[in-house]
Amino acid sequence: MKSKIVSLSLVASMLLATAGCTTKETTVGSTTTAPDKIDTSATETEQPSLGYEFGLGKTFHADQPTTYSMFFSDANWYSMQPTWKTEGIFKKIEDITNVHLDLISFDSNDYMKNVTLNISAGESAYIIPKIYDESAFVDGGAIVPISDWVEYMPNYCEFYNTYDMAPDIRTITRSNGKYYRLPGMLEQCLLNYTFVIRQDIFKAAGVDVESMEATWTWEDLLEALKKVKAYMVSQGMCKETDYIWSDLWCGSESGQSSGGNLLKVMGITYDVNAGWAIADGIRYDQAKDEWYFSPTSDNYKEFLAMAARFVNEGILDPGTFNQDDDTATNQFYNGKTVIMSVNQSQYANYVKKCEEVLGAGNFELYATIPPRSKLYNYSTAGDVRLENGVMISQKALDELGKDGFIEMLRFVDWLFYSPEAYTLYKWGVEGETFKYAEDGSKVLLDGYCCSGLGINGKDGDIDIRKQWGYAGGNFWYGHTLAEMTDNYIPEVKHFVDSNFNNREKPAIAPGIAPNDDQNEQMTLIATPLIDEVNAWTLWFVTGQKDVEKDWDEYVKVCQEKRCQELVDLYNSIYKGAAKSS
Amino acid sequence: MSTNSINREWVPAKKKHRFRRHIGQYWQIYLMLLVPIVYYIVFRYLPMFGNIIAFRKYKAGGSIFGSQNSGLKYFRQFIGDKSFWRAFKNTLILNFTYLLFRFPLTLIFALLINEIRNLHWKKFVQTVSYLPHFISMVIVCGVIKELLGTTGPINNVIVSMGGRPEQFLSIAKYFVPIFTISGIWQSMGWGTILYLAAMSNINPSLYEAAAVDGAGHFQRVWHITLPSIMPTITTLLILDIGGLVGSGGAFEKVFLLYNPMIYSSADIVSTYVYRMGLGSGNYSYATAVGLFEGLINLILLTTANFLSKKLTQSSLF
Amino acid sequence: MKLKENTGYKVFLVVNTIIMILISVATLFPFVYLVAQSLSSEKEIIAGNVTLIPKGINLKTYIYVITEGEFIKYYKNTILYTVVGTTLSLAFSSMLAYPLSKKELKATKILTPFVIFTMYFGGGMIPNYILVVKLGLNNTMAAFILPMMISTYYVLLMKSFFASTPKDLEEAGELDGLNKFGVFMRIVLPLSKPIIATMTLFYAVMYWNNWFQAFLYLRKDKWPVAYYLQNIIRGAGANDADAQQVATNIRSCSMVLTALPIICVYPFIQKYYVQGMMLGGVKE
Repeated sequence: MKSKIVSLSLVASMLLATAGCTTKETTVGSTTTAPDKIDTSATETEQPSLGYEFGLGKTFHADQPTTYSMFFSDANWYSMQPTWKTEGIFKKIEDITNVHLDLISFDSNDYMKNVTLNISAGESAYIIPKIYDESAFVDGGAIVPISDWVEYMPNYCEFYNTYDMAPDIRTITRSNGKYYRLPGMLEQCLLNYTFVIRQDIFKAAGVDVESMEATWTWEDLLEALKKVKAYMVSQGMCKETDYIWSDLWCGSESGQSSGGNLLKVMGITYDVNAGWAIADGIRYDQAKDEWYFSPTSDNYKEFLAMAARFVNEGILDPGTFNQDDDTATNQFYNGKTVIMSVNQSQYANYVKKCEEVLGAGNFELYATIPPRSKLYNYSTAGDVRLENGVMISQKALDELGKDGFIEMLRFVDWLFYSPEAYTLYKWGVEGETFKYAEDGSKVLLDGYCCSGLGINGKDGDIDIRKQWGYAGGNFWYGHTLAEMTDNYIPEVKHFVDSNFNNREKPAIAPGIAPNDDQNEQMTLIATPLIDEVNAWTLWFVTGQKDVEKDWDEYVKVCQEKRCQELVDLYNSIYKGAAKSS
Repeated sequence: MSTNSINREWVPAKKKHRFRRHIGQYWQIYLMLLVPIVYYIVFRYLPMFGNIIAFRKYKAGGSIFGSQNSGLKYFRQFIGDKSFWRAFKNTLILNFTYLLFRFPLTLIFALLINEIRNLHWKKFVQTVSYLPHFISMVIVCGVIKELLGTTGPINNVIVSMGGRPEQFLSIAKYFVPIFTISGIWQSMGWGTILYLAAMSNINPSLYEAAAVDGAGHFQRVWHITLPSIMPTITTLLILDIGGLVGSGGAFEKVFLLYNPMIYSSADIVSTYVYRMGLGSGNYSYATAVGLFEGLINLILLTTANFLSKKLTQSSLF
Repeated sequence: MKLKENTGYKVFLVVNTIIMILISVATLFPFVYLVAQSLSSEKEIIAGNVTLIPKGINLKTYIYVITEGEFIKYYKNTILYTVVGTTLSLAFSSMLAYPLSKKELKATKILTPFVIFTMYFGGGMIPNYILVVKLGLNNTMAAFILPMMISTYYVLLMKSFFASTPKDLEEAGELDGLNKFGVFMRIVLPLSKPIIATMTLFYAVMYWNNWFQAFLYLRKDKWPVAYYLQNIIRGAGANDADAQQVATNIRSCSMVLTALPIICVYPFIQKYYVQGMMLGGVKE
């Protein structure tokens, strides 16, 4: 759900260039390993002499001290500290389960590159978390087709069956009917990225966003911002030539040179691939049951025209698409701009920074939901209810033997899918880092904070993420609505709910499974093609090119760069797969 | 044994014997060469042969020399690839513009430094002008981004004069000037070293004789200094021209500064090779492009060096 | 006539001085800008008040970067790589350059073209990358150092210098009973201080500033400071938008601290590298 696109870095993306691959949904039946419900009855019977305890609602515990190796993605803004192992999350896991995790950690920026290299060199760890796209590993035999084994995992099956995950899981099922990743599963897609506005200025200008947001379109947002700007100019708060919106996550680095988050969000509402979600531009047409190149579609043209208006009409700073993120945030903190993108974990941070610069009481923030387009009322929260997940290496099966392997899977099942473990790695230990309030909600104890949970404490509070590794990205994802939202501050809960009530989820697209040669052909075409699309998109949006006048030239450029060939390739693979299954 | 080394008149002997004698005399020297030669074979020549994957499909994790013949497939593909030709054109334009400005400016700067009479001041100017040469490209490009940013000093000046901030690094037409100006900033001082060295080698009696003949100061520069350093000028110029296609030197800077909005003027062959190869996994294709560039480079450099030797009896290597 | 000439020359000297001042200022401007930012408070920078004169002057940023941030960890890596790399580079470059400078050595006939050819043609980016990975050097110090350990250009500079050392001294050394290696160590090297100093500086600067090898091969804990800088300049949010941004003053401070050692060292070696470049630069 966190719309983190797979890193463009190096080898990782090379192997992961295409989207998750699946067979068509028509393969539902006795042969598929993503059945509507997983039958676990056969394996649930009590077996007294296993040497470990497990089960739904039970804590996994090995009788003998056990060690499993695991890759770990070390985020550079909360690097792993020795304390994580001596007193933090890994110590607690060991205390509870008698399992020691032998961690092989890589920097998050290079994580996929290193995981790929290690797996291809035969040096894989047993447990491989934080995998967004497993396509590259399917053929090599180094990764276990986990769908053959999920019946041994009670917590996984419980969630799968309770929340009808089968349609979502089928999007990661390969042409052989198996899947290779234990994904993070969500009860619902929740809005993460949205916009925050300066409520005080909007109100003073006579714009009531709260009442508009349910049905507002991008046009409405533009009009509102123009009204706000007129007010600001009349009050001497800015000049006519100033921009009042300068966004982050869109610059050439954090936006991955594609227009990043803003164009992604806007693109979804027009049913096109854009920004972070551009991928290779190919999109699935539900009505025609075929694939097409969305950056040359009519919807894309409308989307561009709308985006360009924000810049043209003096609202959105064209620097948005080139600048460092802190150039954007600085302008919001010091009151020069009045709207900016935000996500769940950053909201509290914005409030804190604005208080530092503007002073508490001098501003009021409001997190709204993204506008819709005139065409669709799509939610930008995502369609497939899956997140990155865990691969299990074949090496584990070879070295542990079947029984040992199943034991490990049950540990993995507890670690990634049990409510007990979820609470542990998100909140820490009851009485040590958090407690239950009277209404049953979880709150951090005095003296602790957690930027990762969006809970900013006082100065001098200990960040439980930095100190002990709780609320880290390797474990914490997915789960039930109640669990996912248990750390939400009211403002975040408000926009998540508002989005849920006012927008609809787009339909899930099927996947395709290209072979090696087809894959090479695709990336050879897509790399220069998408470079071109990104450049033109940003030219259009920033006004260097005119959508009306230059559109045909742009389409011609895309055709010269062989976009049709890419579409044909997709359709032939898709039809071929459809036929064979 | 040591006396042998000065005894250069050997009694004619069998070749084999002479060889043994040579080795016997110089074995320590040959031993010194062992590591460097192995190094060159592994880190210089092996990758050269690794270029074979331009003709053979390389699979990640597969053999270093590729796993399956693909013939000229990848060459045919990039010959028809507009993005490649754009990168090729950009490489030429970028290098040529840079050379066009850098070369005369460096020479003039050297002549001007040579005219400074106060030695301390002269040393200071030299020291300061060498500074950018030693600074990491990461910092240089970081500073360029800061200076040209929306809230950077250059845009502050524009805004204070009533203008709108300009997105210098996202508008294609600005890239060549940015690259050139920052390049001159970085390299102009360092480039004077060879000229100043050549100038310091000019025999002062030439100047004295000219002064006696009544030549003014500027005439002396024109008639003595410039002709004396002409071989250096010619050599450097020819070799610079020989490097016009190569993008090795520009890679780091372009890579750190460019983005898709300005690919149309900033994308050069080596960055294209990076994106297609390491960036999106088309190793064989990217190697074919790199090999093509390398071969053109080889031809140009050989020609340039040959010309330099012909015209000035001197060459860099 | 003579008088007129003198006036013209005097005017020129004044103009020349002004030009030199302008060039010096232009050269130093970006550094002054960085230093100003690094000394200013974050609040003043956010408010956009800082250009060349620091506002809200404090050393807090420096203290923070040196004591609390991760900067020092990467700085230590850089120092290690620079020391090890420069040592190896110097040793093997001179071990190659010295034999190449000996015309009487038969192998030079083959060796010189063997070495020089690598300046004309190379493996290119991809084959080099594959090689390093295949050698299993990924995420080792060797991956950072080996690909650039011997620079052919520097070897040739050294070779020219060695070739210019007086032969009779070497021969005298041999008469005194030194073997070939002894001559090199005890006679040639001590005579070669200028080129050794120059090469030390050049190689050290090369390692100190390198980031690309780290970008390709190294994991985070092994990063040199130059690549760490590149990461905070581009913003940590490239893959994960949750990442917290590094404030401008911390960034500037890190850049200043990274450039500082080189700025402090290079002026003192100036006379050597000017001499070294002079001797080796253009071969007649």
